[in-house]
Amino acid sequence: MRFVASRFQWIVPWYYILPAIIFLLAFTLFPVILTVILAFSNYAGTRNGELDVSSKTAIVNVTDNSLELTNIKELRCDWLLTPSQVNQNEAGTSSLTGCENVLALVYTSGSVDASGESLDGTTLTLVEALEAGTSVNSVEIMIPDFGFAQEIKVVSSVGKLVELERPPAGTPDLESIRISLTGSAIERRIERIEGNTVYLDAALPPDGIYSTIARFNKFQYVGLDQFKIIIGEARKALLPVFAWNMVFGILTVLINTVIGVFIALLLNNPDLRFRNLYRTLLIVPWALPGIITIQVWRGFLNTNFGAVNRFLALLDLPVFDWLGDCTLAKGAVLLVNLWLGLPFMITATLGALSAIPRDLYEATKMDGANPWQSFWGVTAPLLRNALIPITLTGFAFNFNNFNIIYLLTDGGPPASWGTSTARCTDILISWAYNEAFRSQGGYAYGLGAAISIIIFVITIAVSLMNFKVTGALKEEGDR
Amino acid sequence: MNTLNQIQSILRTYLNLKSLSILFTFLITNFSIAQSDRFVRIPYGWLWFLIGFIVICLVVAGSAYTYGKIRRPGKAISYAITASTHLFIWIVILLTLYPVIHLLAVSFNRNDSITTPLPKVGNALLRSGVLPDPSNFSLVQYHKLLSETHFFTYQWMMVIIIAITLLTIFVLTLIIRRSDFSFKLEQLRNYIAWVFFITIFGLIISINPDQFYSFNEAGEKVRASSNGKIILHIRNTLLVSGMTGIMAVFLSTTAGYAFARLKFEGRYQTLLSFVFVQMFPGFMALVALFYLMNALDLLNSFTGLILAYSGGAIAFSAWIFKGYLESINTSLEEAAMVDGATRWGAFWRIILPMSVPMLLFIFLLQFIGTYSEFILANIMLTGEDKWTVGIALRAMSYNQFNTQWGTLTASAVLGSIPILIIFYSFQNAFTDGYTAGSTKG
Repeated sequence: MRFVASRFQWIVPWYYILPAIIFLLAFTLFPVILTVILAFSNYAGTRNGELDVSSKTAIVNVTDNSLELTNIKELRCDWLLTPSQVNQNEAGTSSLTGCENVLALVYTSGSVDASGESLDGTTLTLVEALEAGTSVNSVEIMIPDFGFAQEIKVVSSVGKLVELERPPAGTPDLESIRISLTGSAIERRIERIEGNTVYLDAALPPDGIYSTIARFNKFQYVGLDQFKIIIGEARKALLPVFAWNMVFGILTVLINTVIGVFIALLLNNPDLRFRNLYRTLLIVPWALPGIITIQVWRGFLNTNFGAVNRFLALLDLPVFDWLGDCTLAKGAVLLVNLWLGLPFMITATLGALSAIPRDLYEATKMDGANPWQSFWGVTAPLLRNALIPITLTGFAFNFNNFNIIYLLTDGGPPASWGTSTARCTDILISWAYNEAFRSQGGYAYGLGAAISIIIFVITIAVSLMNFKVTGALKEEGDR
Repeated sequence: MNTLNQIQSILRTYLNLKSLSILFTFLITNFSIAQSDRFVRIPYGWLWFLIGFIVICLVVAGSAYTYGKIRRPGKAISYAITASTHLFIWIVILLTLYPVIHLLAVSFNRNDSITTPLPKVGNALLRSGVLPDPSNFSLVQYHKLLSETHFFTYQWMMVIIIAITLLTIFVLTLIIRRSDFSFKLEQLRNYIAWVFFITIFGLIISINPDQFYSFNEAGEKVRASSNGKIILHIRNTLLVSGMTGIMAVFLSTTAGYAFARLKFEGRYQTLLSFVFVQMFPGFMALVALFYLMNALDLLNSFTGLILAYSGGAIAFSAWIFKGYLESINTSLEEAAMVDGATRWGAFWRIILPMSVPMLLFIFLLQFIGTYSEFILANIMLTGEDKWTVGIALRAMSYNQFNTQWGTLTASAVLGSIPILIIFYSFQNAFTDGYTAGSTKG
């Protein structure tokens, strides 16, 4: 290393940066690039490009390039239809089944169902021994945690013992295991479907015994379609969610700053006794992990049994359905965020206040200013300079504050104007999450990725503003 | 002067704390209370509250004013203002701490369900359920959570060592703060701190999932339910957060150093790309990360999660460290390099020891951030034995039957303790780091 460094001086800095860059490339940049690419596709849970094991259908009869199946519905071609194709089908302008041009695997021999007794590493022990003479190709094991079955190649099998190529991920359900017997699977493309008959693009070898067919999920690049969907539904999702996102970001920063600065100013008085004790007590919400406290707040805001409503009732005030009403849920989010964010605001302001030199106050005192004048003349302008970066950072953080929305209100309650994924308190990032990971048609990841690109653009805009104000990048530019 | 003395004695008799508390108790116990099955209402409670509040404010300000008039007549108003400030801050503190107190109280309650009927006796605050009912005090929730955890003897020894060292460090810190000649004591404290960290590390490594079991009626060993594994979940979280913090420090210091001190082609561009890449909403890359980890066969493993977290942590940490290095003088390293130290030597021997507080801050920031991370962990850690605290809590909170409120709060308390200890032990490093970071971008 040193030899290379003495030859090529320019390489030295990269010795220092390389580890960081490798990590950044592998675990940040690569996922980001993949996400951006997927934003231009219709990638989703039912369209992820992989073999759909649940679409396995038994074959009744084979002639040349056509296969007669037991029931075409089992192939689940309708899962592959895009919404526009469904509309066209209903209108009668097209009759696509969804399986056109989809890759499929035709299995040459059957499979048996079995249950496993135990799994030790890669060794699977079955309850009953397999018939003598059968050779096993692969096993399919259901993983309940993942919600899908995993297909694992088999290295060898003797009686009850089956040696797998690799251990299954997660905790497998050994109750029902499907064992594919040896034989190869032939890949073909589905051309069209008529009734229960599937036509393939090429004939199958004539001497095989064909048992089942399974299709691949397909996903394709759809250009700007995802963005068109977002814009097309802008009134129902993008605009209201964006509006509330801005309001949430601005209001929460504003409320936190005003109250935080006020309390910090009170605490900054050096004559105030116990001020360190007060500070320590006020900082408690910051010291507790937010992931825990937010979930506890959910309980406090419970309509019938929560502490907040009990207190209101005690004062003979009306009680509210905090998490069930649109406006109140928004208020609750702001309230809890105030509780969470106040300690940081107080600490940051106290830090900024302590940076103001004492002699400035002495000087104003000499000049005969009263405390009010010295506050507006000295404290306020200096404090403002220190607070601007803090509030901008706070805004950028809260703009994407997924945890509070997801754990407190879970985006809810459903809004009259919204969709099932964009609800009352959903901000952009939780909306994207809902689209990507729990919209009804499975994981509509392409759409979620498209939304995250929009978020990315907004975040960059905010950060550029931040850099411009704080001048964090300016010194570099001048050089 | 005579009249003033009289006023003073009257104030002393009527307005001391005890009489105030008696008055307050009298007020809240003797209201006519309308008790439905869910809520307790005091008719016109808000009016009483308002009146009481104003009276208390007036009394506090007035008595301070009178007191000031006696002590230093010219400063009477500022006495009143100071007293009101104290009152105001105490109200804020009460509001801030109420959720925490309530959380503690519920965790020490015998009822697991949130829907328990309210007590029929006691004062209004008790009967309304605003304050916990002391007669329900019980350790049953904690017992339920901890009874399925079986530590070995050596692990108990470790726990005892941890407790003793923690206590010693605390006491020593107090002594050091009070005394002047404390160098030796500080050294002692540092040694003890090392013992503390090594023991904790040993304990975290040594706990394994097989230690969580109970016995059924037939006397067979059965694996613990997910609620009974909270110690395992805390251990998992500590392991992941700690390793992520260490990784972040390792990877970001070298990069931050290069950005701050070395001038090279492409430096500014690399720096900019660092800054902008981290602005992508990280967890939206979940599917990509899931895909990547699946390809690397790292799903449901801590290694995968730690790698993913570290990747997300680097850019920000390197940015902070660069800002910190730019704020300190280069003369020391330059002197060392003139004396024949290599660049790496200067970095390793001079820069790193000098920036320990900043490294600590980066570590803590990453540690606490990771402790509170939820989404990525939720997607990647599927096996119950690998869960982190956040996932375990959410499982309790979204239990399919009803929220197990007692279990949830008790777990929340247990899960908060590590962060609470860390935060308050390093409070200064933490707050100073933030101010240092905020003044220098």
